Amino acid sequence: MIKQLFPIRHVMGYLASLVLSAAALIVIYGDLSHTANVVVLTITALIQASLQLFVFMHIGESADTKKELYLNIAYALFVGLITLFGTLFIFVWGWYA
Amino acid sequence: MDLEKFKVHGEPLIYGAMISIALATIGILVGLTYFKKWGYLWREWLTTVDHKKIGVMYILAALLMLFRGGVDAMMMRLQTAAPEMKFLDAQHYNEVFTTHGLIMILFMAMPFIIGLMNVIIPLQIGARDVAFPRLNAVSFWLFFFGAMLLNISFVIGGSPDAGWSAYFPLASLEFSPTVGNNYYSLALQISGIGTLITGVNFIVTILKMRAPGMTLMKMPMFTWSVLITNVIIVFAFPVLTVALALMMFDRLFGSQFFTMANGGMDMLWANLFWVWGHPEVYIVILPAFGIYSEIIATFSKKNLYGYTSMVFSMVIISLLSFLVWAHHFYTMGQGVMVNSFFSITTMAIAVPTGVKIFNWLFTLRKGRITFTTPMLYTLAFIPIFTIGGVTGVMLAMASADYQYHNTMFLVAHFHYVLIPGAVFAVIAGFHYWFPKVFGFRLNERLGKHAFWWIIISFNVTFFPLFFLGLMGMTRRMYTYSEETGFGPLNMLSFAGAVGLSIGFLLLVYNIYWSTRYMPRDTTSDPWDGRTLEWATPSPIPAYNFAIVPKVKSLDPFWESKQKNIPLFEDKITKIHLPNNTGKPFILGVIFFFLGFFLVFSMWIPAIVAGVGVIVMLAAMSFDQDHGFYVSAEEVIATEKKLRGETV
Amino acid sequence: MKIDASKPLEYSTEENSNKIFGFWVFLGAEIPLFATLFTVYFVMVNRFADGPSGPEIFEIGPLLVSTFLLLTSSFTIGLAVHAMRHGYKKAMMFFMAITLLMGLGFIGIEIEEFLTYVHEGATLQTSGFLSSLFVLLGTHGAHVSFGFLWGVGIMIQLWRRGITPATANKTFIFSLFWHFLDVVWIFIFSFVYLKGMM
Repeated sequence: MIKQLFPIRHVMGYLASLVLSAAALIVIYGDLSHTANVVVLTITALIQASLQLFVFMHIGESADTKKELYLNIAYALFVGLITLFGTLFIFVWGWYA
Repeated sequence: MDLEKFKVHGEPLIYGAMISIALATIGILVGLTYFKKWGYLWREWLTTVDHKKIGVMYILAALLMLFRGGVDAMMMRLQTAAPEMKFLDAQHYNEVFTTHGLIMILFMAMPFIIGLMNVIIPLQIGARDVAFPRLNAVSFWLFFFGAMLLNISFVIGGSPDAGWSAYFPLASLEFSPTVGNNYYSLALQISGIGTLITGVNFIVTILKMRAPGMTLMKMPMFTWSVLITNVIIVFAFPVLTVALALMMFDRLFGSQFFTMANGGMDMLWANLFWVWGHPEVYIVILPAFGIYSEIIATFSKKNLYGYTSMVFSMVIISLLSFLVWAHHFYTMGQGVMVNSFFSITTMAIAVPTGVKIFNWLFTLRKGRITFTTPMLYTLAFIPIFTIGGVTGVMLAMASADYQYHNTMFLVAHFHYVLIPGAVFAVIAGFHYWFPKVFGFRLNERLGKHAFWWIIISFNVTFFPLFFLGLMGMTRRMYTYSEETGFGPLNMLSFAGAVGLSIGFLLLVYNIYWSTRYMPRDTTSDPWDGRTLEWATPSPIPAYNFAIVPKVKSLDPFWESKQKNIPLFEDKITKIHLPNNTGKPFILGVIFFFLGFFLVFSMWIPAIVAGVGVIVMLAAMSFDQDHGFYVSAEEVIATEKKLRGETV
Repeated sequence: MKIDASKPLEYSTEENSNKIFGFWVFLGAEIPLFATLFTVYFVMVNRFADGPSGPEIFEIGPLLVSTFLLLTSSFTIGLAVHAMRHGYKKAMMFFMAITLLMGLGFIGIEIEEFLTYVHEGATLQTSGFLSSLFVLLGTHGAHVSFGFLWGVGIMIQLWRRGITPATANKTFIFSLFWHFLDVVWIFIFSFVYLKGMM
């Protein structure tokens, strides 16, 4: 019963997310450079997001819409990242100084 | 409470509008009661979940808004027809050009297109309905009440007056103290939610509900264009949602997003607005490309040239449309690198668009062309749109744009793009699909008269604006002195606008005339069509297809007519349909009041309405609709009647 | 209604699988929504005018508690769906209840945090930075609150109607929403708080 209620995949996923969150704390308690900190945050966040997407949300589960789901997320990320970095490009990095 | 803020003062025109709105409302209420149509209206329309009826309501609302936006346009052209005109004052002129833009783009072009796709898409893919019929009704009523909310601003409290792009700091509370821009943020928000839901609904419908055998590359071009459009809707509208929410926070709660002090950044609004705004242009233009593709293929009696390249060019346009937004504000102060980047991406869009133009020309080549009204609009579209496109490339050059920016040249450019690219298309599509929905054609002679009036007057109206722009006339100026020399060309433009009005009146008269006198079309395929919508009877039965068609090729109906391949092979069985529901309508009404109370910062009523929205959502979630069945015998009888056989 | 027994209950009818797909598309729309809010935040992050900056107001304690609550609730809603697929209604309801309670705890901490900020003189009106912070966090918090109400509604339906294709479908879609909120929170945790405290 317990084994059925707590599938190992989910338990591992959960523990991994806790560990990753804890690992990210190195950016405040550790002594890394600014760039290294940002890299750490990016990597831990991306792994965690993928954990949710693949382990908990079962994105690859439904065979008949798998391709569409990946395309959907890819397109959404494309628009989101373009908005984010495009705006920073306009107002911060590429601003006339 | 201070009643003063509800009132709009000073203009005889506005008092006239108030009286006519009141009279029209009373007229409708009295008429409905006198003819005992309340029950009919509620049962057949307000509660409907039928995609065809929802589509028809979208189109009716769009025509109404076309009238409203058209009146705005006429007032602007009249006010600028001669130097120092006293027809409108500056404030009123500001409100008129703002609502003209908002209404024409968001409450005319978009709903017209969404209406056509509601009616046609399920038919073209051989489906019995959209994926989520009830959500579809929610979409419509949110759009409708959003549009109504914007429209009442004219007589209650004052219209938005900072341009349809509502740039900050002008649109901030400090510089636009009336409630006008509150209306802007809330009305657009409400109808925007409706549009987003439509986007989700149609993506699922097209990807999951196609008839067996219809692979993606066997979809009609209009369906492809609508799919891509809805993808753009789903990913672009959230940006508008955020922008409008921030605007609302700034105006109602004193946040500091777009302010001039305290770390606010007014330019961020322009940025966010155009991150949504440029894809929005393609949201209204891509379906038009689809409509033209259908019409050109049908009336050239050829299959569409370069189907695959058509599809890919649309996909590329959809991606590029998210990469060009900064070309709307080259002059804002960003660096050379930024402008160069956006200049290049903008020009790149001309490439896939050019591909499409050439594909249409090659489809026409050696075709057996029939010059029907929809085909005439399509043929007129190609050269006129090309003028719009070429001037677009001129504007895309950042350094040159410093000269054109905010002049009438720009106004001429986007009217040359949007009117052939969206308005002609929806009119063409309206004529083309009208017999499918109502079972008779619009009169061709009247249709062609209207066409020539519209096409010639359009050019007379907008071509002079290119020269006015080059002469230095800026947009949005409510008057000018005689020494500027802008007078004669503006007068010419006004004459064109009068001609355009006559053309549109003829178009409306044609609907009236044809309803009374045109013979019923019993063939259900008046144009010798190619796609599945022509395979079902006109007017379309509630269940669309008695038997779900089996698709084996592109243009399945054409193939089945040419090669005698049967489309409908199964036996007629009972058909499952969803029940009507009044909840989406009620939800729309509550949203309307929520918006209205927020516009006037009436917090307690707004909270009550907000709770009402949540209660309605819960009620809709707890609803269990098992639908109902139409029996096989009933289907057979309906089919016989619609096909003109006696039962 | 045709029920396909080879698929999990929540996918078993065409309508059900359409709804799941449709909800994924909606989540696709949520990505640019939050991306835009992050965009605004990053543009505004150094524009704190006379008000406090991020490092001056962020506190690690409540942050860790709320992160733990949300991560755990994402785990338990996953367990609820898993129990649902095995037909264990009681376990499923239990896990859902835990999820919602932790959601409630998260909202409580967020409200407490906002009140503290306001008490310290850091309000929505203070600066561009604070406006963007409040609206980014608030939008996420509003999603969690809405999710709480939604989840309660689904639990009532589950309790009354049992695990049917319709309720299973709703629960599964709700779980997608809840996981998604966790994804958004991870980015807020990393790029608003931790980056702000670096």
